[in-house]
Amino acid sequence: MFGPTPLRDIGLVAAFELREMRRSRRAVAVLALYLLAAAFFAYLFVSVLERVQEASKNPVAFLANARNEQPGRPGARRGGPVFAPAPPDKPSQGILTSRGSPFNVLIFSQVAEPEARDFLEKQSPIVLFFTLTSFIFVPLLIMITAAETVAQEHQSRGARFVAMRTGRAEFAIGKTLGQGALLGVVTLLSGVAGLAIAAWKLSDFSWDSGLESLLIFWPRVAAYSLPFLGVAAFCSMNSASAMSARVFSLLGLTALWLAHHAAGLYTGSAFEPFFNALDFLTPYAHQDDLWRASWSAVGPQVMLLTGLALGYVCVGLLFYRRRDL
Amino acid sequence: MSDVSNSDAALRLSAVGKNYGRIRALDGLDLVVPSGSVFGLVGPNGAGKTTTFSIACGWLRADQGTVDLLNGGAFDAVRHRGRVTALPQDSALGRDMTVVEQLTYLGRLQGLGAKATRSEVERILTLVKLTDRAGDRVRTLSHGMLRRVGIGQAFLGNPELVLLDEPTNGLDPRQAHSIREFVAAQRGTRTIVISSHNLHEIETVCDHVALIDRGRVVMAGPISTVTGRNGEVRIALGDGPVPLEETRMALSGDAVEWDQVARVLTLRFIEKPGRAAEDVTGSALRALLAGGARISSVSRGQSLERKYLDLPAGRPPPLPGDRTET
Repeated sequence: MFGPTPLRDIGLVAAFELREMRRSRRAVAVLALYLLAAAFFAYLFVSVLERVQEASKNPVAFLANARNEQPGRPGARRGGPVFAPAPPDKPSQGILTSRGSPFNVLIFSQVAEPEARDFLEKQSPIVLFFTLTSFIFVPLLIMITAAETVAQEHQSRGARFVAMRTGRAEFAIGKTLGQGALLGVVTLLSGVAGLAIAAWKLSDFSWDSGLESLLIFWPRVAAYSLPFLGVAAFCSMNSASAMSARVFSLLGLTALWLAHHAAGLYTGSAFEPFFNALDFLTPYAHQDDLWRASWSAVGPQVMLLTGLALGYVCVGLLFYRRRDL
Repeated sequence: MSDVSNSDAALRLSAVGKNYGRIRALDGLDLVVPSGSVFGLVGPNGAGKTTTFSIACGWLRADQGTVDLLNGGAFDAVRHRGRVTALPQDSALGRDMTVVEQLTYLGRLQGLGAKATRSEVERILTLVKLTDRAGDRVRTLSHGMLRRVGIGQAFLGNPELVLLDEPTNGLDPRQAHSIREFVAAQRGTRTIVISSHNLHEIETVCDHVALIDRGRVVMAGPISTVTGRNGEVRIALGDGPVPLEETRMALSGDAVEWDQVARVLTLRFIEKPGRAAEDVTGSALRALLAGGARISSVSRGQSLERKYLDLPAGRPPPLPGDRTET
């Protein structure tokens, strides 16, 4: 019905990539890796929350236990400035995992902007923790799991079958989109896994507020992941084997991280504009705004991140178009 | 070769050069594949056959020279999609997909619609005799079956030019024969270029051939011309008389050589209207039989293998750490 167009080819390659990953169980391996990581960190975090929850419900007993466990340590003052204990006849509801919890107030009290502070205070802590850990670890996981996709086809020379039928750009973008779709699903499921851990461990957990927060923050995690996927695609396109693509992409990630932090080191120097511009081209520079409340603040960053992803892929394609398969 | 006009050439490479580091894989290679021919590319390991294929298919970039496919310039996936296909050497299809899924994917990418792809895949599976393995994963197929899938994908749709790199490499004789039959059955429907070490295969299947050595074409043309089928007759004689002078008189003007050790009489002539190879052979045999000679065998021209072996040998040994061919 429709003749061959770049978009059609990209869709065909992406769909085949997803089907192949599912069939080869690579998708299962990626899912398992993300879910295990998410569950592990969520468990650690929830365990801490559980302890704090216990303390907030019965601070006297908690502190007494703490003193018994650590006899030399001075006891904490009852009813601190932030954690006001609930009256014994009225246990706190959702003190840690519901919106507007004192835990969030504690964590985000240092956020300078009132709007952002109010917004974050109302979110589910486990989702905020999921977002924070995703910002830290998902780039690394992307480099490990997604960088080999095109390079693997170079290694097996399977790309030669496809190169007779569609352009290299369509092939590489299709493969990258396939990876992106898988990562989108996997990160969402990782967030749900975190919520499930919270539901299991915390008595006052609310699925409604947790899912609502996840639907607010998961798209931000996905948007933040895009440029890293672009870097992985760049490295994958221009590597001869899966292993070299992984190494290349990890070096790329390190380079981005260094570029971001170099900007901080050269503040006030003559090089500051250069390093600021360099920093602007890294995804790290656009992370902070993803914590804001309004889409008028988040939206432009999402667009910038998408643009960065496209930029990395396009630069990769410039080299890829000229390389031998 | 150069007498093939531009419009008659399905593939034309002019002065193509390619280096792998210090190694000159192609050294100003000129090649013209006539449209509609089954063309054989022959040469020793490292001669540049696969590099020639890869440059023609756009997988490798030539350092010098020009490539033209179907009068549409160098390979371009948009221009040549569905018109030019290839069987790459040592390339793996997705191991975890089924044969049908893999062929369907490639057919769809080639620009075929969903319905057309389905019928094409069925046709190809029948042609390469793999209908019973259609639903099996590629990883479960034998080497021969994989080769057949590879060849099958090259004939999806209606390509005008098909390049097959070592199509029978590693196959047992029965499978190789089956693939030769399949390729031979395609004769006249499209241009097919085959690279192979198997000279008998090339001689059986192809109507044109080019011999490549050290990155250059050293001989090319119709098989009959290259092997001398239309200008040379070899007659082996058994023990007994050799009426050499009578034969020379019967073939006045043609060269007659006698190899005493091999007891082979070689006749070299130029075909003319009204005087074909059959006429020359008839005259020679009549003279020989009249002189009491005992005929062991009669053959036209040299085998491609003989021709190949007669080429100057002495390829320089590879340098340490050099690749021979990609």
